This record gives sequence, C-alpha cells and structure tokens, in this order.
Amino acid sequence: MTDTSMQQTGKAPVSTSSLLAEDARTRKRNAAEKRFQMYGIAAIGAGLFFLVVLLVTIIGSGVGAFQQSFITVPVYLDEAKLDKKGERNLDDIKKVSTFGYTPLIQQAVFDKIAALNIETPLTKRKNMKALLSASAAAQVRDTVIDDPSLIGQTVEFRMLASSRVDGYLKGRVQREDVARDKNIDAEHLDLVDAFQQAGIIKKQFNVDFILGADASESRPEQAGMGVSMLGSLFMMVVVLVLALPIGVAASIYLEEFAPKNRWTDLIEVNISNLAAVPSIVFGILGLAVFIQFAHLPQSAPLVGGLVLTLMTLPTIIISTRASLKAVPPSIRDAALGVGASKMQSVFHHVLPLAMPGILTGTIIGLAQALGETAPLLLIGMVGYIATNVPDGIASGFLDPNSAMPAQIYEWAKRADPAYYERAWGGIIILLVFLLTMNIIAILLRRRFERRW
Amino acid sequence: MYDTTTTTGKDISVTDVKISARDVQVYYADNHAIKDVTVDIEDKTVTAFIGPSGCGKSTFLRCLNRMNDTIDICRVEGKIEIDGEDIYDKRIDPVQLRAKVGMVFQKPNPFPKSIYDNVAYGPRIHGMAKNKADLDEIVEKALRRGAIWDEVKDRLDAPGTGLSGGQQQRLCIARAVATEPEVLLMDEPCSALDPIATELVENLIADLQQNYSVVIVTHSMQQASRVSQRTAYFHLGEIVEYGDTAQIFTNPQDQRTENYITGRIG
Repeated sequence: MTDTSMQQTGKAPVSTSSLLAEDARTRKRNAAEKRFQMYGIAAIGAGLFFLVVLLVTIIGSGVGAFQQSFITVPVYLDEAKLDKKGERNLDDIKKVSTFGYTPLIQQAVFDKIAALNIETPLTKRKNMKALLSASAAAQVRDTVIDDPSLIGQTVEFRMLASSRVDGYLKGRVQREDVARDKNIDAEHLDLVDAFQQAGIIKKQFNVDFILGADASESRPEQAGMGVSMLGSLFMMVVVLVLALPIGVAASIYLEEFAPKNRWTDLIEVNISNLAAVPSIVFGILGLAVFIQFAHLPQSAPLVGGLVLTLMTLPTIIISTRASLKAVPPSIRDAALGVGASKMQSVFHHVLPLAMPGILTGTIIGLAQALGETAPLLLIGMVGYIATNVPDGIASGFLDPNSAMPAQIYEWAKRADPAYYERAWGGIIILLVFLLTMNIIAILLRRRFERRW
Repeated sequence: MYDTTTTTGKDISVTDVKISARDVQVYYADNHAIKDVTVDIEDKTVTAFIGPSGCGKSTFLRCLNRMNDTIDICRVEGKIEIDGEDIYDKRIDPVQLRAKVGMVFQKPNPFPKSIYDNVAYGPRIHGMAKNKADLDEIVEKALRRGAIWDEVKDRLDAPGTGLSGGQQQRLCIARAVATEPEVLLMDEPCSALDPIATELVENLIADLQQNYSVVIVTHSMQQASRVSQRTAYFHLGEIVEYGDTAQIFTNPQDQRTENYITGRIG
C-alpha cells in the first residue's frame, strides 16, 4: 500500500502514516501491555492488602496478651495461720497448702475496700474470690517458702487479677454479659472500677506470658509460652544437628560425586516429591517408627525433632543442591587444573561459594519446621506442662513438652475467650521468631557474599 | 589418516617427544568427537591446535590431562603417553597427572580468593613448600613468570577476581606454572582478552616455551603463526595436517587446511 501511494504521488518517499499517531496495531499492543501491567499491580495490591489485614488482625487481637491486670495490695502474713508452731521450720510451713493462703489474700483485698471507703454491696471476704486469680495464693505461698522470715509481717504483693477482671479492663467482658456469668457480678465490676481509680488494679506488661508455663483451663490469666518455647528450641537443636550435616552431605554427594544414572535420577525425583509430602504424613510416620517401633518417649522434643528433621531434609537438600549448581563450573575446572582432587575442589572452593545459599536454605527449612503443627499433634507434642521447666539439657530432650505452634493450637481450642487472646499473642511471638530467623538468613547471606 | 608427505606424526624425530598420542578416539555418548588422532608433541615447543569451531581441538586438549574424566558421558579410547607412560593406565591418578600437566582455560577463572592464595593453592595442596618463606618465594616466582608480579606485588591480599580480564588470565597462568608442571595446556587463553592483553600473554608463552612443552588451542590463525613452532589443523574430529607452523601457513598440503587458513571456511 505504501508503495502504490508513493508511486501515485510520484514525489520523494512520503510516509502515509505519521509516527506521531499510533496505528491500530500498535494501539492494541500497547493496550495489551498496559492491561497486563494493571493485572500485575492489582495482584500485588491484593496481596499487600491481605498482608496488612492479616498483620492488623494479628496485632490487634494478640497484643492484649502481653498486658495483664495486676492487683497490688499489702497482705498480712498471719503467723497463726501459716506457722502455728512459730518455729519457722520449713517443713511445717510447707504443710500449709494454698488453701491456707487464700483467706489471707482475700482479707487483704477486703480490707482495702474499707481503707479506701468504697461503698459496695459485697460485704463478705469470700466475695473477693472473683477478683483474684487462683494463682495468687500459690504466688504468695512460694514467696513465703523462699523467705520464711516474712511471716508475721505485712508485705505488698502484685498478684494476677482473675481473667474476668482482666477481660473487663481490656473490653472483652461487657457489663451486659455478666448477668449470665456465674464467676463475676456487676458489683464486682463496680469494685474494679473503684480499684482502678485508686490505682490498685493496673494493666501492666506481663513477662510471664512470654516466659511462663501453660496453665489450666480455668486460669487463662496465668498461661504463658515459655515452656513450649523451650520445647521448640530443643526440637530445633535436634533438627539443626541432624538435618544440616545429613542434608549437606547428601547434596554434595549427589551433585558432585554420584554418577548420573537411573538410580540417582530416581533418588532425585523422590527427594523433590518428599518436599511436597503433607507434613501430617511425616507425623504418622514418626508415630509408627519412633514411638511405636523404637519406643522413644511420647511428647518428647527428641521425637518431634526427628520428625521435623525428616520433613526439613528435602528442603535443605534441594536448596543446597541449587546453590552447589550455581557455583560456576570454571571454578571446579580451575581447582582440578592445578591438581586438586575432586574432594579438595569441592571443600576448598565449591562449598565456600555455596555457603550463603546453604545457610539460607537451612534457616528457611528451620523456620518452616518451627511453625509446623500437624506432625507434632500426631506424636503427642502437645504436652500440658503447667509448671515444670525441664531439669537439664538431657531431660529437656526426653521430657514431655509442647511446641509453640502446638501450644497456640491448644489455646485456640480452649473454651474461655481469654485463651483466644493468648492464642493470638502466641502467634505474635511465633512470628517474631520466624522474622528473626529470616533476618538472620539475609544477614548471613550478605555477610558471606561480600567476600567477593 | 591422510597421507600427506610431511604431516603425520610419525615423521617427527622421536628423540624429544613429550606427549605421544596414538589412534585416540573420543566419544560423547554416541557422538564420535575425535577420530583416530595420532600426534607427537615435542618438549620445549609451542604446539598450536587450529581448526573450525566444534572440530574437537579443545576436546583433544582436555584428554591430555584427563579433564574429560569430569564429563560422565565422555569416553576415551586409544593411547596417550607422556614421557612414555600411558596416562589412561588404571594405576595413574589423574590428580598427579594434572599436577604435571597444567591447564589454562578459555575464560580467566581465578578463585574468589586473594591473589596470593590463588597462586599458593596448587603448591599448598601438593606440599611443595616447607614453610611460609618457601611459599612466598614460589608465589613470587610464579607471578614473575606470569609477567604480572610488578602489577600485583603491592596488593597480594586483594581479591584475584578484582583484576582486569588480562591480568586475571596472567594470574591463571601464574597459578598454572606455580605447581611446576612439565606441560602447559592452554585452551584459547586469549579469546576473552583485548589485543594489548593478548600481546602480553603471547610474550609470556614465548618465555614459557623455554621450560615447558606448551600446547595452545586458538581460533586466531595469526596467533598460531606468531607463537607456535608446530601447528596441527583439526577438521571434524581428525587431524588433517600437522607440521611446522611456517610450512602449514605458507604451503599447506591439504586442500581443507588451505581453505581454512585462507578464510574460505571456518
């Protein structure tokens, strides 16, 4: 067409179409490109939106767990009740159970009402029970056993308020709901308001949520992540000690030494497949092999670690092999060319270059294992450990324990809404761990890669 | 083999033959890459392998220090002897062989370590130095032979990968000579270098010739004529012609050689 038109005009070549105007084809092509970019931006936007929603929800729901309501009152430690013989003999003092302490604490709170001139229809000492956590008596008793000289004195204690009081201060427990609640009455809430004004009840940062042990269903205010954190730590130690050397050795052999034949192909395919096997399958495998066949103790971090090792190995092998593959073959040639053996070329040259990739893969694998719940449920890594921290390292691996994600799952299952908040709080702690591990992975990678 | 009067290896006087190859065949799986190559490479001589791409000259070069062992599908038949010893004998350890037959590769490939460590690596793994002073001496000697000492003597701790391409290649040559090899194989050592760096490397090859038997694969016919005394022309996996460089370039016996060096093919 262009040719004929040029011939018709008979002049120097004049283009019929201006470059300033887009022709139909170009317009269509540009529109398609723009459309595709829009899809991409929309996809990223949707992703970011859900991420923000997720983070806001998690933090919004969970941050409350890090604060707890405490009642601070002076408690008179009555010698007549706590040490009848007056000899300060530790055995005698230990004979008094928490039931002996409860009246003293309730009395202390009751006295505070009178001291502050608060008007309340609650005229009995026992009415104070609803305000205090059941853990308060144990806390006071432990203090007394630690230091029997306190008996006979009046000591100020900062004790956990009951979960209903805590919920009221956090807005979880509403006055309308209290009518049907046998644990607390509207009068108690009035009292809480008055106490709060007087500064006796305060919301404060609660270290025990991070470091403490789990608590029974009726004491959500006391429950903490500490022991399950230890369980997770022990499992991660097992995973690291087993999965890293086994995974790296397997990858080096497969990548650098193994002949390429049908067997190695088969192994390769199976490793890739293993990475996609649902984690619960590893759980039931661990149950059958480690517990039922090998008779290792149930709920032990050692078994949990073994199961998670099986799960993490494919991840580590795949990432290690990828980073070994990424080392340029010219480096291997160079090493072989100066007369290094295969092993020398791998350990002196290839492995150091692959290190950042291997470490990153390992940490990502560990992070994955840290958040894994399903296999732990099957091997019973949901031990209810209310108080006892393992005695030592050795028993730490063999004693029943829980793990962070399993603990969160346990809390989410429990009926009391106060546990709902703690489950979210646990998720925050877990996410902080995962984030830290990922940051370590990035830092390690940077550090090693900077060596040229 | 093509029986041209001057070209077959058998005509060379056997007195100072360093490497002798007889009926070498190389297969990559089913692909017959090298066919019936018979050649004698002399000591203290630069021998150039020329030929079009894919003609097998690099493959044959890599047979000489058994670098082909690292390729699973590669199979070598025939006999290659260095100083009368069959290098494909079962008792030969390729690691020992490669210490004796050094290699410089097409792309400069220094280790991502310091310049010093690059050169010291070979002597270290072969236990050539008794102490640090010994090693320092070996490194300096090698870098001097690599004609790069003056440029790097003040920054031996700097990374070898931070040098320019030409310097890297000379560093690689220094690394190769540090282990005191008897034969130096060079696989297109100048293909990634500019003319000035190429000239430096070529001068270096001329110096190295006094101590080593150098075998160089090159795509540049000018380079072959400049640096080598003997030239072998490879064509489709065979040695078509082998003889004195001057004779190959001025008076080739085979039509295909002539076509190649006059630029009609290749």
